[in-house]
Amino acid sequence: MTDVTMIVNGQVRGASVPPETTLLQLLRDNFNLTGAKLGCDVGDCGACTVIVDGQAVNSCLMLAGQAEGRQILTIEGLASREWLHPIQTAFENSGALQCGFCGPGVLLSAKALLDENLNPSTQEIRDALSGNLCRCTGYTKMIEAVQDAARLLREESRTQLTHARTEATAP
Amino acid sequence: MNEHSRVLERDELEIAETLRSPDVDLRLPPVLPREPYPIEPLTPDARQQTRAVGQRATRSDARLHGLGQTKYIDDLSFPGMLYARIKRAGIASARIKRIDTSAAEAMPGVMAVLTGKEIPTNSFGPTFQDQPVLADPIVRHAGDGVAAVAAVTEQIANEALAKIVVEYEPLPAVLDPVAAMREDSPKVHAPNSNIYATKVVRKGDIEKGFAESDRIFEARFSTQMIEHVSLEPHAAIADWDANGRLTIWATIGRITLARADMARTLKLPMSRIRIIGTIVGGNFGGKNEISQEPALALLSKKTGRPVKGVFTRGEEFTATTTRHPIIMDYKTGVSNKGRILARQIRLVLDGGAYCSWSATTLGKACILSPGPYKIDNVVAEAFVVYTNKTMTGAMRGFGAPQVCFAYESQMDDIAKALGIDPLEIRLLNAFDEGSSSPTGQVLHSVVIKESLRKAADRFGWEPRS
Amino acid sequence: MKAFGYVSAKDLEHAIALLGEHGARAKILAGGTDLLVELKHAVHNPEVIVDVSRLHELKTIAVADDGLHIGALVTHSDIMNSPVIRDMFPALVAAAHSIGAMQTRNLGTLGGNLVTCVPSMDSGPALIALDASVTVASTEGQRRMPLFELFVGPRKTSLKPGDLLVDIIIPKENLGKPAAFEKFGLRKGQALALVNVGASFWIDREKSVLVAPRIALGAVAPTVMRAPKAEAFLDGCKISAEVMAEAGRIAAMEAKPISDFRASADYRRDLVAVLVKRALANAQARATAKEKELVA
Repeated sequence: MTDVTMIVNGQVRGASVPPETTLLQLLRDNFNLTGAKLGCDVGDCGACTVIVDGQAVNSCLMLAGQAEGRQILTIEGLASREWLHPIQTAFENSGALQCGFCGPGVLLSAKALLDENLNPSTQEIRDALSGNLCRCTGYTKMIEAVQDAARLLREESRTQLTHARTEATAP
Repeated sequence: MNEHSRVLERDELEIAETLRSPDVDLRLPPVLPREPYPIEPLTPDARQQTRAVGQRATRSDARLHGLGQTKYIDDLSFPGMLYARIKRAGIASARIKRIDTSAAEAMPGVMAVLTGKEIPTNSFGPTFQDQPVLADPIVRHAGDGVAAVAAVTEQIANEALAKIVVEYEPLPAVLDPVAAMREDSPKVHAPNSNIYATKVVRKGDIEKGFAESDRIFEARFSTQMIEHVSLEPHAAIADWDANGRLTIWATIGRITLARADMARTLKLPMSRIRIIGTIVGGNFGGKNEISQEPALALLSKKTGRPVKGVFTRGEEFTATTTRHPIIMDYKTGVSNKGRILARQIRLVLDGGAYCSWSATTLGKACILSPGPYKIDNVVAEAFVVYTNKTMTGAMRGFGAPQVCFAYESQMDDIAKALGIDPLEIRLLNAFDEGSSSPTGQVLHSVVIKESLRKAADRFGWEPRS
Repeated sequence: MKAFGYVSAKDLEHAIALLGEHGARAKILAGGTDLLVELKHAVHNPEVIVDVSRLHELKTIAVADDGLHIGALVTHSDIMNSPVIRDMFPALVAAAHSIGAMQTRNLGTLGGNLVTCVPSMDSGPALIALDASVTVASTEGQRRMPLFELFVGPRKTSLKPGDLLVDIIIPKENLGKPAAFEKFGLRKGQALALVNVGASFWIDREKSVLVAPRIALGAVAPTVMRAPKAEAFLDGCKISAEVMAEAGRIAAMEAKPISDFRASADYRRDLVAVLVKRALANAQARATAKEKELVA
């Protein structure tokens, strides 16, 4: 058995699992985080995408042991108790998810992209989502949703900046 | 245009959008609007749009999808649940001489093994009941299941599959659908013919039509097998409880049909079967019938525990239905001006090992095969034949995309040969309001010419001839 | 996956000791994008997995006296984001970008791409075009060899059990050599190469001729191959679109492609001609752009 401890969605989680357990299995079976999906099991479809130390990865291609001591973000950690993440809002408003199975992976790929680049071009979005397959043919709406989310995030960061400046100048 | 047919203007739309856009300030507010949709309960006349057209609508399940909280089959689990795997034949055509499951049964963690002999009625299907739950004794395609295992983990179930020994006597395989139609071809479902459904559409006098034609074009078109590849694989959980009642959670689009099929295979009254159709992670026609569910039910009955089965991506390709490859022979007679005067079509659908929704696909492919064109003389014949390949069934369009590929390809060939613009030849032949289809149906709301002109205008089509 | 043991190496020394101890019974886990798929399909059944993914010393990109050293564990994303490689070796950035998708590029490593040794690997042609060499470590010490000698056949390298690829070196004399990478797949994203090409050459400005050309072809032979006849033809040629096209045609004759479900041999041969021409033209364009940059 391999003992693993990691930070998942901001919480320290630990488990003792057989070495051949993938990160995806660990998240789904041990931590009950079923948002990441098993689609192809070979890293082609992206349904299992999670963010490890800030980078989107296929959790079906990582052993649980490799995630030891790392920071993991799954779809369950994107929204807070009170707020939807702007990406979630945008995807909802754009109707960008149809059957929804690819959704958690797509949203996290979009998150990884927008964390680096708040003003992505269509080509950059397509590139970032190329590892997430959707068979309901929802890519057009997804690209719109990511652009929309980028706009929301830019507005949010402007508001925060203004807010910070106001606070700094306050007596 | 009267008041009802008007598409809402942008500013009016915004009011509707406010009503339905979810309130982000609240945690998990209802996604459905609080006010009813501003749609008047009118039955619109033909060519009239309701007010709903052109409006944005939020999906009622969008919130859960975005939060990752939608529960698909593989996201569900029950206390004591076992995992099932099915051993696939891996041979296209054979007779099973012997199955030895003793080594698998002896493995720690293996709770039950099931073979075809134990299934009360070992056949199912939405049209003809020609598909076994587990092959016994004839294997008709490589994806046929030959045994199923329920174990405490998926890993043990997989290892148990490797320990099941199956002895096969290989039989001749039929792989070419055209060859399968010959009398002397080996029979997939002996002694029955390999041709298991046919349809013929006739209109006018085909010989006269060809005689009057200036040019006759003949060509063969063929398409390939296509898998739906829904992102969620086929999955189900079966729980046969101590009261003798069976509950199935399944990714099935046709629950009632599935219930009837289950009752038949299990020889169980329908009233004892409950099927819960969960959210389906992509169907596209591939999840309109049962597959592994009877095997899971019997494994649950044997073990007294819930049993989950999820297909691997490989099984999705080999053991579930696919789109029909069709061999399409088109003979079309046209005037020098490009009017189609006669069209004779012969379709051979590769039906794979079992019928599934082939008869439905055959019908639709056949009646649509002449295309959306006014043709006075038509003969369309279609055959669907068994081969020792993955079964073909329903997939978006039910045979329409295949024949569309053929008739539109030939349309281009004819246009080129006659030196007519590809758009013009279509406008010359396309249906009008009130035209009748090859089956005699009088058509209304026919907008094909408008659509073509509008599309040509939008993407800047210039006549090339 | 079948059961196996798992041990995570702390540093290079530890990794080499572990590999020495387990030998042929072990498989090395770096990025895992190929290995995990093979384990799931039971292509290998190792007793133990030696996880080297935490060896920070193999994740560096640095210019040393003898050239540019790229650690074997540098991921494809690292290559795309490295200012040094973007500046000196954009062909490798193009190759890295053409691999898989964002998720697999974040996991997959340059070393892994080379040692998996599939004929269609994308890093290989780009690196061979610049005469890269590799450092291999084992309990017997470190040795260096030309990258070309690493490749033996499809999924077969000259590494022995216990060997660990440490880094990849672009020789100093080739830093800044104009190079380009071209790939043709059935899609833009997540597609294996039907053909890929790496090409490089120096330009003798005085005589306006090509010097020391290199043409490396992928997916058209059991492993990455050079096109020596095309190279010989180009060497000393005056730069023109015609000689580049001719080099493409010669390279196409040298290629030994097979037909498979992705493409026919003839189609691949045609692709070689086109892609070699494009790669040469792009390398020249890059050289011109670089010169302008220097003048400015």
